[in-house]
Amino acid sequence: MNAIIQNLSTPSHLPTTEEDELKGYGNLDEMGRIKGMQIPRVPDPTAFLNLYTDSMSSNPEAKIKLAHGTTTLAFRFKGGIIVAVDSRATAGSYIASGTVKKVIEINPYLLGTMAGGAADCQYWETYLGMRCRLYELRNKERISVAAASKILSNIVYGYKGRGLSMGTMICGWDKTGPALFYVDSEGQRLKGDLFSVGSGSTFAYGVLDQGYSYDLSDEEAQELGRRSIIAAGHRDAFSGNTCNLYHVRENGWEFIGNYDVSQQWYEYEAKKKAAREAASSEMAVEV
Amino acid sequence: MFRFNFSLLSAYLNPSSLVLPTAAAISLTVFSPDGHLFQVEYALEAVRRGTCAVGVRGQKCVVLGVEKKSALQLQDPRTVRKVAMLDDHICVAFAGLTADGRILIDRARIECQSHRLTVEDPVSVEYITKYVAGIQQKYTQSGGVRPFGISTLIVGFDPHDTVPRLYQTEPSGIYSAWKACAIGRSSKTVREFLEKNFTEGLERDEAIKLTVKSLLEVVQTGAKNIEISVMESYGVITNLEQMEIEKIVATIEAEKEAEAERKRQRVVATQAGQATMAMGSSAPSGTSTPQPPSGVTAPGGESGVQ
Amino acid sequence: MECAFAITGKDFVLIASDMSAGRSIIQMKSNENKITPVGPNLAMACGGEPGDTSRFADYVDRNLRLYHIRNNFPLPPPSAASWVRRILAESIRSRSPYAVNVLLGGFDTTTSKPHLYWLDYLGTKADIPYAAQGVGMYVTLSTMDKWWYENIERREALDVLNKCVDEVKKRVTIKFDFNCVLIDKDGVHSLDLKSQDPIAELEAKVAAMKPSDPEPIIPSSDAPAIAAA
Repeated sequence: MNAIIQNLSTPSHLPTTEEDELKGYGNLDEMGRIKGMQIPRVPDPTAFLNLYTDSMSSNPEAKIKLAHGTTTLAFRFKGGIIVAVDSRATAGSYIASGTVKKVIEINPYLLGTMAGGAADCQYWETYLGMRCRLYELRNKERISVAAASKILSNIVYGYKGRGLSMGTMICGWDKTGPALFYVDSEGQRLKGDLFSVGSGSTFAYGVLDQGYSYDLSDEEAQELGRRSIIAAGHRDAFSGNTCNLYHVRENGWEFIGNYDVSQQWYEYEAKKKAAREAASSEMAVEV
Repeated sequence: MFRFNFSLLSAYLNPSSLVLPTAAAISLTVFSPDGHLFQVEYALEAVRRGTCAVGVRGQKCVVLGVEKKSALQLQDPRTVRKVAMLDDHICVAFAGLTADGRILIDRARIECQSHRLTVEDPVSVEYITKYVAGIQQKYTQSGGVRPFGISTLIVGFDPHDTVPRLYQTEPSGIYSAWKACAIGRSSKTVREFLEKNFTEGLERDEAIKLTVKSLLEVVQTGAKNIEISVMESYGVITNLEQMEIEKIVATIEAEKEAEAERKRQRVVATQAGQATMAMGSSAPSGTSTPQPPSGVTAPGGESGVQ
Repeated sequence: MECAFAITGKDFVLIASDMSAGRSIIQMKSNENKITPVGPNLAMACGGEPGDTSRFADYVDRNLRLYHIRNNFPLPPPSAASWVRRILAESIRSRSPYAVNVLLGGFDTTTSKPHLYWLDYLGTKADIPYAAQGVGMYVTLSTMDKWWYENIERREALDVLNKCVDEVKKRVTIKFDFNCVLIDKDGVHSLDLKSQDPIAELEAKVAAMKPSDPEPIIPSSDAPAIAAA
């Protein structure tokens, strides 16, 4: 067992003596890194996890249903980055919460989104915030989005195959301008202009891809983000309740608002109907 | 944190490898009763006996100049280098024990690549300086080791930046930023020379000239024992050819010669003037009092090149 | 789900790879570069488990760069291939192996010969004149068997490569976009497969650059003229 725990911590920073253990703070070593993680005391922790939780599988027999099922999206455009997420947390078929904050405010210039295991995302992204602050203090400048996402990716890659489940987007503004990275627990890390993650991502893509262009105005972009989340919240059983919208600009991110999915959906429907009626009445006049 | 294969790189970085296998080795660097660390001061002495290295920051470039020991008759001079690249954009020169320098440079090179691997960005000049100084400091506080007998000059450009940087580290682990700096043999003389002659915003050729000029303060043998590297922007570095350095040395010598000549003429003129004045003011002795020559010719005159 | 192929010619190697990245059925990115230059005259296409691939490429890249800086000379392709094979062979015996298949192509400036190596995650290494990796293997190997010949010229080799790309687009159910690099004595150059005559464009670019410095894809290649400790 100890072997496994040791394997999880950085090989070069294994505490060798009691004195070494004293360095650092709490469960962090002297470099500010996590030393190790508690693991079930069973011969095969991964199989154990699979048996009782649905972290690695969609095992319907699992007694513990971890919170996942989400729609999150982020895209880059000329005015910065739009980040939009839903707020529903589900455990199996049960809605555990409808007011979850799925955007994690890492620092005034960096946002992370949550998809997958809520606990994993929350813990590691908060930890990322700590690492970013340490970087800032040590290097006297803000961390780049590329570096921040790489740090997160390195951490979760170290736990690959051990049941972590997260798909996150790290969004921010640095010396190179607005940047957007997708990082997941498989160790994948992609730089891109437009991503959507979660069970509802397919529905979000369906709206997002049709409306996306780099040259959108701020209002158009915010509306596109909101509209895509509403669309996913309407179609995906595991997403919904409300939509949280953020806009990242050069001087940091701004929280735009919180929108009720059902209310918005019916407003959109009403607008669509009104527009169609207006169009048909115009046609009638022309005739 | 890293998976198995990453440890290939990180094995080199392991700070615990610093402590030798005989674990409870006693530190050799201990305080003297009056608060000195003699080992560190001896290391500084080793630096003072090393060949001289000079760094000068210009407007858009940074110049490194080093004094090169003459290669022995049968020695291959290519194997004796005092300037090394740490990464595409960072260059280092050192003074002191060359063998110690090699170890430090290798550790820094690994860190440069390791940093790129873990956070994707190249290191900043200050970061790698801090890292090098950190290693040096560790060797003043660990058991069974002695401090590094070298000071380094680290120059380069930060990524996404155009400001030239120049840092110095010492055996104690101190690091500091400079506009122009000298380390090694007679560094005090050279530093004073730089303090007198450095101006802000030097162009490339001016910075090179100042570097050569300051090195000539201590290098008696001229161009053949000088090595100059110029970094002009991120990743753009050139080594001056021997010919180019000789040309610069020649112009400096010519300037000095001209200066000396002007002074000599001025002396002659004043002497002549005084003589005529003495003549005019009825000096019966007829022998004019000559100016003491030492006071006039000494400053700047022929002191550099022999 | 990936697809890469490579062809050696008289004095060059061509490597092409798909650019898709995603999760299960969703394609999250269609322009992800999977060909990493790992030296002044060396490039590597990686396929396999997502996450492992990019990490493995970075790891190889940084270690070969370290070798270059330390020795003031890049590791030649045959040695680099042996080293990469050893890393894969050690990895498969470790707790968390890299599930990565590699095509490593390079031009050996000491012998003026092109080299191509096919490596898989088990640690197999084969030195071959043309190769394919991933799903494309099933349809393009025969294409290359038929059209490739020894000392093939650049344009003809590119024709063969385009035949392979067309074949993949025709017979494989997944849609791929491809990017391509050419490695020769001057460095690693990216080719635009969509243009009319990529070889002519490349020649013009190299000719324009020749007098001063080599291709800036790896800006570091000329810097270590000074490196040596």
